[in-house]
Amino acid sequence: MEDRVVWKRAPVIIAFLCNWCSYAGADLAGTSRQQYPPSVRVIRVPCSGRVNPIYIIKALADGADGVMVSGCHPGDCHYLAGNMYARRRFAVLKKLLEISGMEPDRVHFTWVSASEGTRFAEVVRDVTDKVRALGPNALADGGSRYEL
Amino acid sequence: MSFETQQKELRDLCAALLRDGAVESVIGFGERSDSCCVCPPIAAKREKDAGKLAWNSRCVPNLAPYLPLRGKTAIVAKPCDARAVVNLIVERQIPRESVRIIGMDCAGMTGADGNPLRACAECGERRAPVADDIIANEISSRRELEDTRGEYSAKRFKDEMKKCILCFSCRQACYGCYCQTCFADRVLPNWQPAEPGFGAKMTYHLGRAMHLAGRCVECGACENACASGVDVRYIIRGVTEFIEKEYGFRAGIDIEASPVMQSCSMDDRNVGFWGGDERE
Repeated sequence: MEDRVVWKRAPVIIAFLCNWCSYAGADLAGTSRQQYPPSVRVIRVPCSGRVNPIYIIKALADGADGVMVSGCHPGDCHYLAGNMYARRRFAVLKKLLEISGMEPDRVHFTWVSASEGTRFAEVVRDVTDKVRALGPNALADGGSRYEL
Repeated sequence: MSFETQQKELRDLCAALLRDGAVESVIGFGERSDSCCVCPPIAAKREKDAGKLAWNSRCVPNLAPYLPLRGKTAIVAKPCDARAVVNLIVERQIPRESVRIIGMDCAGMTGADGNPLRACAECGERRAPVADDIIANEISSRRELEDTRGEYSAKRFKDEMKKCILCFSCRQACYGCYCQTCFADRVLPNWQPAEPGFGAKMTYHLGRAMHLAGRCVECGACENACASGVDVRYIIRGVTEFIEKEYGFRAGIDIEASPVMQSCSMDDRNVGFWGGDERE
């Protein structure tokens, strides 16, 4: 029998959402009364290309249980190509985190457009389920700073 | 012995370059003071200084961080150093015309105990891919390597991080760490926690690995500089392999290339993304 994951608090997922698509998508999810878990802490960024990989590393080192980054679909970037630079960066970062032994399901990247409120809710539900299955972030030694 | 013939050829070439005024200085390796030391970097500026240049199995340091000197500079370059110089040119850190690469055929350098260095044992490069002069040796061009990557696990990473004392020697030795202010030294925003715990080490090493993604030339300067024997290069090596496979890019091979992380394409795959790897 496999070990049961014990949560003494709700999982904390830091979500970096691009101002032009995903933040509006999250807004739409709210205004259209989509249900999703309250585990995400949204940080609005101008573009997914603005997300420095160190933000994600730092979030994990400081005890966040999961990180998700969402931007415009490729080709729809408000700044033309910001999300495509971000795509390479995130692919490499994900590989790097895998190499250093981080569970791959802690970090998620995706594209959510301003009209995809349903997709945003679906992503958050799925990411929360995956992070919940992994248990609290054990890589950070100090324990979570987000004790609730 | 081939080192001696290469050394003689190198001294003759550098003496000629300095005499003719083709270059103002030559960055190279000097004679070591003790058999356990590595050859220190020296800059020869006059013709008679060319006789001080050394080439032996302890020419360990990567000389690329010493560029650029004033005026046109020749650099004595192992294949890894030459790749570092090429990548600095690709990243517009030094102008192509300011540097003359003297490519030394290299069979790998050794440690103080006479055994090959870890990076050199893993290196298949024998000749600089881009060079203005080649000081040849009879060694074969490339050799096949055994797989020394080992497993990628959280335990391995934590064990390596336990040894790290956050002295930042790896950063100082690295040719690619040329930022005026390293993110690890920043106070605003303060990325590094004051306490040198696992979180600080993880932020530093993963952050540095991200900065070196697609730029590492695997010279091993970081691990040679490390005082506590951390295998700091293994995570970067995994990323380098991924970038080579996914984007077909190796740092310092092509002088006309554009840096891999500073380019993008609609045809890139969504590797590791939520919802699969498909193209959109």
